[in-house]
Amino acid sequence: MRVGIQNEMIRSELEEVVGRDFISVDKTDQLVYSTDWSWMPQMWLDRGQELRTPDYIVHPGTIEEISDIMEIANKYLIPVIPFGGGSGTQGGALPVYGGIMVDLKRLDKIIEIDEKSLTVTAESGIILSQLEWVLNEKGLTLPHYPASANCATLGGCLAPRGTGTISTKYGKAEDMVLNMEVVLPTGEVIQTPIVPQHASGPDFFRLFLGAEGTFGIITKATMQLDYIPETRLLRAVLFDDLGKALEAGRQIMTKRLTPFVIRLYDPNSTRSRVRKILGYELDGAYMVLGFDGDPDIAALQEIKAMEICTELTATDLGREPGEKWWEHRYDFYYPPQNLKLPWMYGTTETVTTYDKIENLYWSEKRAVEEGFADWGVQFIGHFSHWFHWGVMLYCRFIIEDPPQDPQVALRLHNRIWNTAMTAVLENGGMINEHHGVGLKLSRYMRRQYGDSWPFLLRLKNTIDPNGIMNPGKVGFGS
Amino acid sequence: MIENVIETTENCRYCLMCRHVCPVGHVTRKETLTPHGWGLTIASLRRGLLEIDESSVDVIYSCADCGTCRANCVTDQPLPSAIAAMRAEIAGQGQAPLAVVDIHEKLQAWGNPYSNEVPEESGKAAEVALFVGDDAHFLDSNSVDAVKRLLSAVNVKPVLVGVGRNNGYLASSLGFPETAAKLARATLDELQRSGAKSMLVLTPGDYYVFHQLHDERLGLSWPEGISLLEVIPFLAEQMNAGNLTFNRLSDTMPFAYVDPTHSVRVSTRYDAPRQLLAAVMPMPARELFWHRERAHPCGNVALQYTQPHIANHLTYSRLGDALESGARLLITEDPGSVTHLQKHAGRFGLRIQGLYKLLADQLA
Repeated sequence: MRVGIQNEMIRSELEEVVGRDFISVDKTDQLVYSTDWSWMPQMWLDRGQELRTPDYIVHPGTIEEISDIMEIANKYLIPVIPFGGGSGTQGGALPVYGGIMVDLKRLDKIIEIDEKSLTVTAESGIILSQLEWVLNEKGLTLPHYPASANCATLGGCLAPRGTGTISTKYGKAEDMVLNMEVVLPTGEVIQTPIVPQHASGPDFFRLFLGAEGTFGIITKATMQLDYIPETRLLRAVLFDDLGKALEAGRQIMTKRLTPFVIRLYDPNSTRSRVRKILGYELDGAYMVLGFDGDPDIAALQEIKAMEICTELTATDLGREPGEKWWEHRYDFYYPPQNLKLPWMYGTTETVTTYDKIENLYWSEKRAVEEGFADWGVQFIGHFSHWFHWGVMLYCRFIIEDPPQDPQVALRLHNRIWNTAMTAVLENGGMINEHHGVGLKLSRYMRRQYGDSWPFLLRLKNTIDPNGIMNPGKVGFGS
Repeated sequence: MIENVIETTENCRYCLMCRHVCPVGHVTRKETLTPHGWGLTIASLRRGLLEIDESSVDVIYSCADCGTCRANCVTDQPLPSAIAAMRAEIAGQGQAPLAVVDIHEKLQAWGNPYSNEVPEESGKAAEVALFVGDDAHFLDSNSVDAVKRLLSAVNVKPVLVGVGRNNGYLASSLGFPETAAKLARATLDELQRSGAKSMLVLTPGDYYVFHQLHDERLGLSWPEGISLLEVIPFLAEQMNAGNLTFNRLSDTMPFAYVDPTHSVRVSTRYDAPRQLLAAVMPMPARELFWHRERAHPCGNVALQYTQPHIANHLTYSRLGDALESGARLLITEDPGSVTHLQKHAGRFGLRIQGLYKLLADQLA
């Protein structure tokens, strides 16, 4: 915390912008805003250690206020950290260098619902579930259903390129956005072209997707909607072999049968998580399949998909296990059923093409399990976001009895991540698919991008010349 | 007491799954004033990362204790009870806010926060008791008269108990479990002396307190052999059985039913008031956005004493929601909710109507 007159100058100038009720330098607020959903800060606090806190927490109510906040930050050269729902798992909202935490949740207005073009325009601080309730009353849905929907904001879905449960048919958040309003680090407010699919120059709007607030603050977005599907057909199948299950998923996708969900749990997840949450005691790879929309088309798609599964010797478990999964799909994230302290855990999710995915899975699993056997590490995974060309692998490592010393624990956590990421990169994977880079994965960005990295750095320096935006994230330093 | 609820705060401190329904989080938009924020604050106090001081006490006393978080929790974490326990620890250390101490003194002396009047017992006996409490007695005695007329129509002549006495919620919520238990015991003793075999209550808040809070927070058991019923579901049941009929109003302005404060804590009561209204109103009701398991409180929670600006915003939020729905008339039965809505309804151009009086006036 800066002290003395400079600190008070900054505070009073921020107060002038947002108003007295919407700025805090209160110790309790600072502590609460010092963490997000990632393991590192939570473990640190859990062990009674202090975290770097934001110096100022502001709650702007207009775009102009955000622009003015940028001006102050540039003048005093202090960081600005956008904060939506705080549900990031990689430390993307951590104020690692202090500064101004900009909580965007007052910007939560729905500006327009266009029932002809099926779009909604809303401010970025709206919580997804609240937006969804409004849309549902009109028979519409924003088909981005992340597990964090109850807390994540619209901007928080776009900034790290988030993915939801039914992305296999409807795409990632970035596939649903048509245009955005962004406050640049320099304080300028820009509006991207009204639609992304055009040939009127380069697609600069995508720069802000995946930048995690390092290129500016997304303040408004127009999103593509869908009608609530007339039917949702769900069922589950069990494979005795993970490779056959992956092949079934690949065939379903490459034959364009358009499932809205394929959720494939590896045998370890089937034995542990599926048993714990859904109560099924099964050996093998548990796969949930879902088809939605027109009842006749969905039924036919399901028949075709089941033919593929049967050909690959899957056992049909029927509708109930699929429907139960759908009904309880978020129960996995409620304590004490979720992964929680004092355990050590991390989600090393990745994505690659079908030709590499199985080898990547086994390589990462082997590297983590063999490398950290002494700690009794568990490695579980599922494949849940499928594309025409490949699939996302959502792996997790868990150590139920980690070291108590926070520094030792953090070093072990880092070593496991290094091992997992090395396996991912050596086997043609990306360091993540939808959780974002944040702080935790920043150090792998140079390896991920290789010769392209200096180009990204130059972009960053041009857009944010003073380096005020969310420093320490996405590989960009302070 | 705090030791008993550590597990809950440890579970909630990093869980964000109910943040979208928290009314205080909704009106303040502040991360600290959400279930996760309260859980983390309590967990950090335990770890010595925060101290019990003005800042943390202010945060701990900003929860509405409305139960919306728990009603939306898949694993039923009793966070409001954990926060009440933390408040008890704060109060025990003599660090409760002055407003809290002031209300506590009134509750100790008079059993209610409204008047220097000690609750009087009727001394009568009957098969059925009707718990009146302090809100109905001091804020809206017309409702009690209306309920008596409605019950009379189905041949129920209740003895009134707990007239002018708080049900124990307020003291419990503010962090004074012993005072809460004393008030609760006084009503339970009075109930047993009345010889009643069942007790009716006027609001979902009362139902929650007698059905759940007394046991969970105060360790008091509900007396065996006595049933507990809420008046509105009881009346709906009587109407559906053909024992109670109403005249339909010929005309009214667009209206909505407001689920009263604590409705989310009684998940089975949603349809009953709507069925009764459908019998007396000439047009279908509008529905508020924040209804059913996400129904927010109307401001009549302990916050009205500790953080009146937040309590007012909860009331404004309900009124704003009603306005959005197109309603011009709001109907609810809880005297505390009626009073809070009434206080600010004018600036929203809305009218408030007590459900009990409306029903009693339309008795066939």
